[in-house]
Amino acid sequence: MTPWAKAKFDAEKPGYGPRGAPGGNDPILQCDPIGFPRIMFMPTPNELVQLHDRVLQFWEREHEWRPIWTDGRPLPTDADPTWYGYAIGHWEGDDTLVVQSTGFNEKTWLGPTGFPHSEEMRVTERYHRVDHDTILYDITVTDPMAYTKPIVALQKIMKLRPHAEIEEQPCVWSQENEFTQRIRNPATPKAAK
Amino acid sequence: MFTTDVQSSSSARFSLWVLVLASTHPRRLKPALLRKKFQRDFIQKCALATLIAFSFAAFPAASQQQVTPKPAPAPAPTRDLSGLWHYEGTGGSEPIAPDNLIPPMTPWAQAKYDEEKPGYGRKRAPGGNDPILQCDPMGFPRIMFLYTPFEFVQAPGRVIQFFEREHEYRSIWTDGRSLPKDADPTWYGYAIGHWEGDDTFVVESAGFRDSTWLGSTGYPHSEDMRVTERYHRVDHDTILYDITVTDPKAYTQPIVGPHRIMKLRPKDELLEEICVPSEEKSFANRIAAPAVPKPSK
Repeated sequence: MTPWAKAKFDAEKPGYGPRGAPGGNDPILQCDPIGFPRIMFMPTPNELVQLHDRVLQFWEREHEWRPIWTDGRPLPTDADPTWYGYAIGHWEGDDTLVVQSTGFNEKTWLGPTGFPHSEEMRVTERYHRVDHDTILYDITVTDPMAYTKPIVALQKIMKLRPHAEIEEQPCVWSQENEFTQRIRNPATPKAAK
Repeated sequence: MFTTDVQSSSSARFSLWVLVLASTHPRRLKPALLRKKFQRDFIQKCALATLIAFSFAAFPAASQQQVTPKPAPAPAPTRDLSGLWHYEGTGGSEPIAPDNLIPPMTPWAQAKYDEEKPGYGRKRAPGGNDPILQCDPMGFPRIMFLYTPFEFVQAPGRVIQFFEREHEYRSIWTDGRSLPKDADPTWYGYAIGHWEGDDTFVVESAGFRDSTWLGSTGYPHSEDMRVTERYHRVDHDTILYDITVTDPKAYTQPIVGPHRIMKLRPKDELLEEICVPSEEKSFANRIAAPAVPKPSK
């Protein structure tokens, strides 16, 4: 990490991973958006819907979505930073959708174990449909302000679920807060007096 | 902008209101910016309106110049609502129906209504308990009554409706399925649609949680609520929108919303406008809470 990212990383208190501890400051604990690409690393499904000018990607978690523009437009050079960024896609051969995205705000973590990113983050994904039921998914995060080299994720395998439909699963702050009061806080060890 | 809205030589007053109303709804701004902009814009608008009013009084001849009328809009395409739509005028920011058109409530609904402390309408007061103040989902149909746009996308088997506010969406199934009898209650419900003729899309929905309000002025509903909407595309650029809420557990008669007019915005794209609890809380602490009058000692 760069010193800039290390300072952010040190301030993060994730609930998972080697630094996992109760009473953390993961932004999603208060239902702030998970953001992209973190939302890709969830056990909940995502759905792709293809239209003539875009591929729509829906995530069950957070009931979120993004358009992946396939109408030939370039990535904007001055996009307002958002939680889910601005994405364009093109086909390589007949079976691989390559998605490039940018325009992210720097408020989100890369995953439940923390790891920050900057507004300069660019993400490249490859959805390689190797057979009717299978996508090989590769993702690379390039963010020179935060990391000295690109982050290349381990390849993931996605399987088609032809009979399933995305459910509505928004993060609801009042419910999340009640869960924190009732379950999370009592489970947090008290500091010794 | 101004002259293209003038319909005839004697419509100076109409045009003025078009201008003022249009500038009252700066919808392409994010919420935090919007709040700041409203305060600043109110003063600017008053000054602008006064200036324009005086200029018409001083130069009546100028206001009577003939203006080329807009060409008639193209006819509606067949069974197609694709595109980004926005209410004409203030249609979107009004409650589901004026108070005098809300039918009598049942005792069950009246008890819920009495608990509601909205920020708008006849019961408005600061320090309310509108669920959206803490970014709980606005839900359907309340999300229909906003000044932000929505987009229809037609895909095989469904029409998808994206709402700019809350970055939300719902699928309106058009594959012939029926409404489920035992749908789990959700914030945006379960919707099916069919075409009546080539220009009217009729949407029926059910399966709603009873934790949302019908609008910014309050008004509860139950999980029994069913909603019927008619999107009648009368020409290429225009939808006439009608909505009826039927909820016998809460209201003695259906609530029939007034006719609303939606206009196509062919060059716009939806922004990502998510309700973010940490930002909303910061706004509440910085602006909303200090503005609430303290109880007298």
